[in-house]
Amino acid sequence: MKKIFNLALGIVTSIGGFVEVGSISTSVQAGAEFGFSLLWAVAAATLFLAALAEMAGRVAAVSKRSMAAAVRERFGFHFQIVPLGAEFIIDTLLLTAELGGAAIAIKMLTGVGFQWWVLPAGFMAWLLLWFGNFSVIEDGVGLLGIVTLSFVLAAWRLHPDAGDIARGFLPSLPHHDITRYAFLAVSIVGATVSPYLLNFYASGAIEEKWTEQDLWINRVTAFLGMGFGSTVAMGCLITAAMVFGPQHLKVDTYEQAAQMFVPVYGRWAVTLFALSLGVGCFGAAVEIALNAGYVLGQALGWTWGIDRKRRDVSRFVAAFSFMLLDGIVIATMGFDPLRVTLISVALTVVIMPLVVLPFLVLMNEEQYVGRHTSGVFGNGLLATLTVLGALMAIVVIPLEIWGS
Amino acid sequence: MMDIVRDVLDTSVVDRNGREMGRVDGIVIEQDDGPPRITTLLIGPAALGSRLHPALGRFVTRVEKLLGIDRDRPSKISVRDVEEVDRKIRVRLTVGETTVGAWEQLLRRWIAKLPGSQ
Repeated sequence: MKKIFNLALGIVTSIGGFVEVGSISTSVQAGAEFGFSLLWAVAAATLFLAALAEMAGRVAAVSKRSMAAAVRERFGFHFQIVPLGAEFIIDTLLLTAELGGAAIAIKMLTGVGFQWWVLPAGFMAWLLLWFGNFSVIEDGVGLLGIVTLSFVLAAWRLHPDAGDIARGFLPSLPHHDITRYAFLAVSIVGATVSPYLLNFYASGAIEEKWTEQDLWINRVTAFLGMGFGSTVAMGCLITAAMVFGPQHLKVDTYEQAAQMFVPVYGRWAVTLFALSLGVGCFGAAVEIALNAGYVLGQALGWTWGIDRKRRDVSRFVAAFSFMLLDGIVIATMGFDPLRVTLISVALTVVIMPLVVLPFLVLMNEEQYVGRHTSGVFGNGLLATLTVLGALMAIVVIPLEIWGS
Repeated sequence: MMDIVRDVLDTSVVDRNGREMGRVDGIVIEQDDGPPRITTLLIGPAALGSRLHPALGRFVTRVEKLLGIDRDRPSKISVRDVEEVDRKIRVRLTVGETTVGAWEQLLRRWIAKLPGSQ
């Protein structure tokens, strides 16, 4: 019975994927500028992330190894240092952006400048990691995450046309700004499918002691969990499209974005938007920091685990603490979270093949997945999508940044 | 020979009680008259660093020395103490009989002082 509640692992992972600073801003911009027509990109990102998370969970359940451990064993340290180094750079940027996002959310609630809130938000995250165990983190963030359903409720209350929504799920070329459209499509995928999520999910599966018997739970958790985040992101996109679309607004700040809740929630609009943004960013920050401990512990062979006495896993504790400190220091310097997000999202898509392709190799080896290997079709599709996404990103991102 | 190197390098090492000792970060190969053979497993950031570049390895060793970690760096485990090589390498020693826990102990001194660390 307890295993049923493991759905929380999927929901928490999906909050880090879909309901954080990067995904909210890309969804709002996509909706405001292109109506429902980028819904397909959210759907594609969902399937992509769910498929990868399911694989990461499968390796973890069968071989008790996370991605970081399996890649080091299978490909060696010389290979691993490249994706690992890239992931740490991206995760530092992401963590900075999430802490900034959480601070912006508190600023919207209190009116006091956002730089003052980075340190308290980061310290809260550290307290949760220091005193919490895996279920506290998972259930806590998961429960708080319910507030983000206000995006879905808002979309619902605005009565969008079902036919228009359905058409949004079919990829189509826009009538204007093709580069911007492609850029947003790439950004939606990049903001959603962060490499850290996969290792976090796999580590969660190990923390919760999944076994080969739990593979069906893994499948349900991966797909339903990501479905949760995906629904929220789609709600966000639809709401932005309904409210900002007719005014042809280009949304540049979160304060502006919060206005999309006004037609539905009236004077509660800013509060609800800020709470949703804050919870999503806080959850993502906790996950990124914790995952830094996981990755280093697993790749370097330390004792690790958030359910163990802190003094018995000192290196692991030091790793997530330093990661948080790093994020706090950079975020306090006052980088614009939106800009930092943009860079990390772009980098994510570009390094995705380095993360995904070795992983697909593992998925065919008995040593890691027993008899539960992936099919040729699924592997081929994921590999093709990853490489295509990276190529598209390499073309589109410079065009967007320097083109116009 | 190359297969052995591949199977051993980067594999995780556990002590005789099943505690994690680290991963094989480097190996020492010796050759007398016969074929070359692995004599020692190296564990520790200095060994890992020097695999990327010898200067990085030396830098890590210097940092460790500054922090007072200077005994048996990187940690050396004789192949005579290896009990089993499988998905993990099991050795007859315990963590405490080696220096693989040096960093863990160093950090524990700080972390154990914080409330809630026990």
